[in-house]
Amino acid sequence: MKPAPKLPAAFLQPASHALPQPLLDLRSRRGTALADMPLPTRKTENWKYSSKHLKLTDALASPLPAAGKTGSSLAVPGNRVVFLNGVMIPEASDYPDLDGITIERFQDLDDATAAALADRLDATLDDQAVQLARLNAARFEDGLLIRLKPGAVLEQPLFIVHEVTAGASGSAFPRIFVDAGANSQITLVEEYISHGDAPVMVNAVTEFSLAEGAQVTGIRLTMEAENVQHIGATGVRQQRSSRFESHCVGFGGPLRRHDLQVRLEGEGAECKLNGVVVTQGKQHYDNHTNIEHVAAHCNSEENYRNIAADQSHAVFNGRIHIHQDAQKSNADMNNKNLLLSNGAEIDTKPELEIYADDVKCAHGATIGQLDKTSLFYLVSRGIGRREAKVLLTMAFINELVEQIPVQAVRETAQTRLNQFFDETFQEA
Amino acid sequence: MLSIKNLHASVEGKQILKGINLEIKAGEVHAIMGPNGSGKSTLSQVLAGNEAFEVTEGEVLLNGENLLDLETEERAREGIFLAFQYPVEIPGVSNLQFLRTAVNAMRKHRGEEEMNAAEFMKLAKEVSKQVDLEPSFLKRGVNEGFSGGEKKRNEIMQALLLQPKLAILDETDSGLDIDALKVVSDGVNALRSEDRAILMVTHYQRLLNHIVPDYVHVLAGGRIIKSGGRELALELEEKGYGWLGIKDEDTAETAAN
Repeated sequence: MKPAPKLPAAFLQPASHALPQPLLDLRSRRGTALADMPLPTRKTENWKYSSKHLKLTDALASPLPAAGKTGSSLAVPGNRVVFLNGVMIPEASDYPDLDGITIERFQDLDDATAAALADRLDATLDDQAVQLARLNAARFEDGLLIRLKPGAVLEQPLFIVHEVTAGASGSAFPRIFVDAGANSQITLVEEYISHGDAPVMVNAVTEFSLAEGAQVTGIRLTMEAENVQHIGATGVRQQRSSRFESHCVGFGGPLRRHDLQVRLEGEGAECKLNGVVVTQGKQHYDNHTNIEHVAAHCNSEENYRNIAADQSHAVFNGRIHIHQDAQKSNADMNNKNLLLSNGAEIDTKPELEIYADDVKCAHGATIGQLDKTSLFYLVSRGIGRREAKVLLTMAFINELVEQIPVQAVRETAQTRLNQFFDETFQEA
Repeated sequence: MLSIKNLHASVEGKQILKGINLEIKAGEVHAIMGPNGSGKSTLSQVLAGNEAFEVTEGEVLLNGENLLDLETEERAREGIFLAFQYPVEIPGVSNLQFLRTAVNAMRKHRGEEEMNAAEFMKLAKEVSKQVDLEPSFLKRGVNEGFSGGEKKRNEIMQALLLQPKLAILDETDSGLDIDALKVVSDGVNALRSEDRAILMVTHYQRLLNHIVPDYVHVLAGGRIIKSGGRELALELEEKGYGWLGIKDEDTAETAAN
């Protein structure tokens, strides 16, 4: 039998040593642990559909330079942190200095804080499930630590712009850790964008730790160009009565992968996970979510919608794991899919593992096409066929897009989605 | 304005229309009556351009131009409007967005400036009042959760906004209570004008009490078997379709919708 391909050694060589010692130590420990890591193949269950799109060449392993021009149309001055190729750019960043809230780049942390952080990084993630996102801890050059003291409230959403410059091939490893104290509140917008057209990889990890009663909203827009492979993971741990809301909008690429893992560890914790994915051409997008109902009396609500056009491929794998002691859990998962062409493919798999006997757990998945009767109705009013198709396609996801709580983000997403569909239906 | 000659049409291989001939001039109101399955809805759908129906013979001219060569959206832009018997619910597209997109598509076709959101809102509010729909309906999804009567009023509202040359009303009276029937009829009567024609398709005579037609045609078995004035409808009301010798086999066909 042919041995499984291994992670090229070049991927384990970080570029700079600007991090505090405890984080450098962590990075090198992770690097050692990942040496000779087998890469996922089509026999690896959680990479079944995506392994063939993973192209880890030596050229892709090079770090990208942490310099260049930055610019996001979305981020609001006064509330933004800009990362370029995984390194924070202070000159482009501009955020408030508020009581009870500290926002620091990893490179600026004192040793004690860095040591405490090093103990917590990756603790929200299941290593077995996020094989490739583990690479982030072996390679990050910088990162952002956001700490909210108990009761601290960030009124305005904080925008984090993750830009990559793809002038030459290479990788970037952005990293965020949010430590939300008891009853604190924050809304974080992560925007992933790119410039240039060399093949690059973004390997991004964001973690949220929610203490009792914390309320956190994470919005994630994946909008990099066609040349970017994006492998991302978001890990969340929630204590008693905390609430986490996630809104992901993803545009396809050669490989887009996002693992979202939520652990409900304290009674009364709840999460709401919304996701929208659109793919066209030969694009590929793979969302894996996992909700662990560890404690009793927790609620989870999940809604993902995929739209695949042309020869593209979208994957949704939603796992809900209700632990033995998690009585009175309430979990609801829904995945609706729209195929816009005969050549497109969507794979959806709900995975429910329930070990408690007094729970409510519902799931549903559908795959359909644009409704001909609706299309006839619209064109019979003089609306052009292409515009009518865009309207109907947008209608399929509007319900979720409209729930994005930040207006600027909602509008940007709507505009981008409209453009995307207009392109999709160009030939029609 | 509209000239239908020897029109034959089928759906899923089944012949429904078997040679329709009809002339409609500007300013006229025609009613087509007939039992269920006679082909009334098929005729409406064929004129509007539903691709589920295949025209197998004959021609339709709109102001001298071959209508059947045009795509559905082109027919609408040339002035054909069909008020659906069963208006479609489209959650996720707001009624306002739908109406504005349609009105602007027409304006663009005529070389006029498109209306911005504020201008259109003002117009839409006025017209919604005319058909007795609360402005809140504009914000809801297209026909989403509307009652039968509200859907029909929404159809008439679209006709008032789009100002067609030929308005085809397919069973617009079905599912309406007497008050809603009055509102809808008032809307249709407001559409009546010298340069517009109206073609009403209906099973029952009662709509014709409110919208008085100039001509009445009886459709059975895919053909117009009798034409006359207003009095023909009253006669039908009194004597039933059997009076014209319409047999069961003529009505057995179900008009696909």
